[in-house]
This record gives sequence, C-alpha cells and structure tokens, in this order.
Amino acid sequence: MPAVALVSSEFWAQGEFIARSVGMPDIPRVRFEHPVAGAGIAVMQRVAAAIRDDIVAALAAPGAAA
Amino acid sequence: MSVLLEASDEYAALERLHELGCTDGLPVVVPTPERVERMVVASGLPADVSLGTMGPNHGNASIGTIAACAVMAGCLPDHLPVVLGAVRAALDPRFDLTELQATTHAIAPFVIVNGPARHACGPIASGFGALGPGFRANASIGRALRLCMINIGGARPGVSDMALLGHPGKFTFCMAEDEESSPFEPLHVALGYDATASTVTLVGTEAPHSVIFVGDADDPTAPDRLLTTLGLSLATIGANNAHFGGGTGVVVLNPDHAAVLDRAGFDRRTLVEALWERAANPRSLMSRLNPSMVRPPKGADEPFHAYRSPDDIVVIAGGGSGLYSMVLPSWAAGPHANPAVTAVVELDQACEIPGLAAR
Repeated sequence: MPAVALVSSEFWAQGEFIARSVGMPDIPRVRFEHPVAGAGIAVMQRVAAAIRDDIVAALAAPGAAA
Repeated sequence: MSVLLEASDEYAALERLHELGCTDGLPVVVPTPERVERMVVASGLPADVSLGTMGPNHGNASIGTIAACAVMAGCLPDHLPVVLGAVRAALDPRFDLTELQATTHAIAPFVIVNGPARHACGPIASGFGALGPGFRANASIGRALRLCMINIGGARPGVSDMALLGHPGKFTFCMAEDEESSPFEPLHVALGYDATASTVTLVGTEAPHSVIFVGDADDPTAPDRLLTTLGLSLATIGANNAHFGGGTGVVVLNPDHAAVLDRAGFDRRTLVEALWERAANPRSLMSRLNPSMVRPPKGADEPFHAYRSPDDIVVIAGGGSGLYSMVLPSWAAGPHANPAVTAVVELDQACEIPGLAAR
C-alpha cells in the first residue's frame, strides 16, 4: 500500500534517523512547518494546502509502495 | 556494532568519546579493551551473547557492549549483574524502550532493586539521599543503563531522543527498596518472586515529586490525610497519566509515612487500592483543561482516575526518616501504555575476581 510519512521540520532529523534504523532510508517523507499541534484550523488548512501536492507526488512515486 | 578507537592517551580518548556523542556529557571511564574484557569476565558470560536489540537504533545489546557501557559509567564488576538485569527489563517488549527513547516526554527508566543483590552488587542505597549523589552503586548502575540507551539504543538529544527538556534522572536513576525498614512485604515478593531472589523493576517515570506530610499519632484522620496527599500527587494535573488515565506511578514511602499506614492496618494491597481511589481529579476539571483528550463529563463529581487500576501503582519503602516521601508520575504512552517490568538479577552467573575492583 502506498504510504508517505508526514514529518514536521523539528522532527525531520529524527525521521531520518528512524528511517535509517529500520532499514527504510528512502521511505517517502513530506516536510511541513512546525508546530501544527494546537495551531488552530486556519493554520492546519494552510499547512495542508501547502503540502497537498507533495503528498500526492510522494504517494505516486515508485518508492511509496515499498 | 562496536568499533575500536585509537587515541594517544586517556585524555584524548575521553575527548574523542565526547566528540562522538558517546557520553552523557560527563567524563567517563575510557572503555579500553582490557577494562571491558575484565568486566565481561566478571559477568560469567561470553562477550558475544546478545540480550536483544535496543531501539530506536536497534543496536545489539551484547554482553560486550553492555560491559563497555558499564565500564564507562564507572561500575565495579560487582555492579554488573544489576546492570544486566536492568537491560533485560528495558529490552522486554512491554517496556516499549524504542518509543520511550524517542518521545518528547521527559520519561526516564527508574531502576528499583530488590533482594540480596542490594548488598551483593552494591551496596545499593535505599535510605537518606538514595536518589541523590554520593552512592557509587546507585550512580554507576543507573548511569550504565543510560549509556547503553545512548550507545546501543542510539538515543541522541534532538535527533533520536526528542525529550523537550528531559530530567536529571536521565543521567542516572537507581535505588534499592529499604526492605529492612519496611513494614510491608518487599516489592518483588508482592510480584510473586521468592524473597531470596533478586530483581530489577524498571518503571518509566517523570522526575520525583516531593510529598510533605506531617504526621500526628493522636489524629485518627492522619492515614487518610497522608493517602490523599500521596494520591493527589500521583494525579498531579500536569502529568500525562492525569490526562490519559494510565501508565504506572511510583510511591517511595519514607519510614515514618510507612509506619503511619502500617499502624492503620494497611498492607500492600489495601494501600495501592486506597491510593488508586484518591489518585483522581474531577472529570469536569479534566474535561475543561483538556477537552481534546478527556471525554465530556458523565457527571461533574465523577472522578477521572489517573491510573487504570491499583496494580498500576508501585509502592516501595525508601528514604530517610522525616516529613518527605516521593511520588513519580507516569508517561502513560507507548503501545503498552508504560507498564512496570521486572527482571531477575542473575547473581549465580557472576564470576568473582579478587582485586578486580582496584584496577
């Protein structure tokens, strides 16, 4: 099943670390601004709009179903 | 995987270990091959025996790599059986070490030692200041586990250990139960182990919170006042478990407070039941403070319990005589929701080497 990890900027390094440690260094990831937790609906919608195309592209990429 | 580094002298080796992020920020004993080999010999096990893999890096927790971390922490060979017991407990899948290492919460593994190992592998302090400085076994054993989590598990602050602040127990966090002064059966006996067995009970907790209680032997309400103070402290409003209603909390009862409850007729079972009952906040309050996590109140006065059951509250005796006990609230997260995990300390595996400690 195609999958993509959504990773906020503050956790990008951890995402890289975990991807390597579990043997999936090329797992598709999309970066978005931090923080979003508790940021409110307007911010959530802006962030979602900003990364929507990236998510679709990542899911369509060959590695997304790995 | 372990690699052999080269350095011109001890000082350069230490600086290199700091540069590589292999320390906890404090100086370590440089784990030369000779020192590690002596520690391995003291374990009575081959260096390549693996206790499992340690997350989030999935490093191999072999006797050799654990021994290297024990050397770095300043352990004596006598301490190693407890270190190995702590690592076994940490590697138990129920402990959720990978998630515990990676979380933004400040959780750290609290090492509680019971049975003869308290003396044979120490002495491991349980009285005055047991969670503070001054006790080599406590400091070194807890630090060895942390250095394993750093060097085998790969925990690095801001990269793979995402604790927003952490707490000082992430340097070292180990004490024994004061079984001799306790009016209650020892923790490991209550868990079903023989009194002659030695165990490590590992609980992921916040930093200790002090709990003041001034007793009055003439006041019949004293036991309830003490229990209520401890219970509300276990459910302190900022703690995860107050909001999640789960995890494992720890109470370290000082001898005076334990005596108050003993005189009132409590045993371990009735004690944790009484604490659980009181470790709660009004559901209406929780719903108001955290509407995204706590469901709307069924009734304004209905309690929202900070733990799922009395079994999720661990009580040990410890500390000096006086006004203060401690509670250690919980993380209450991870796939298994932060249970306590107990492992046997295998004293019969240890190989006694006279004079080794002095080298």
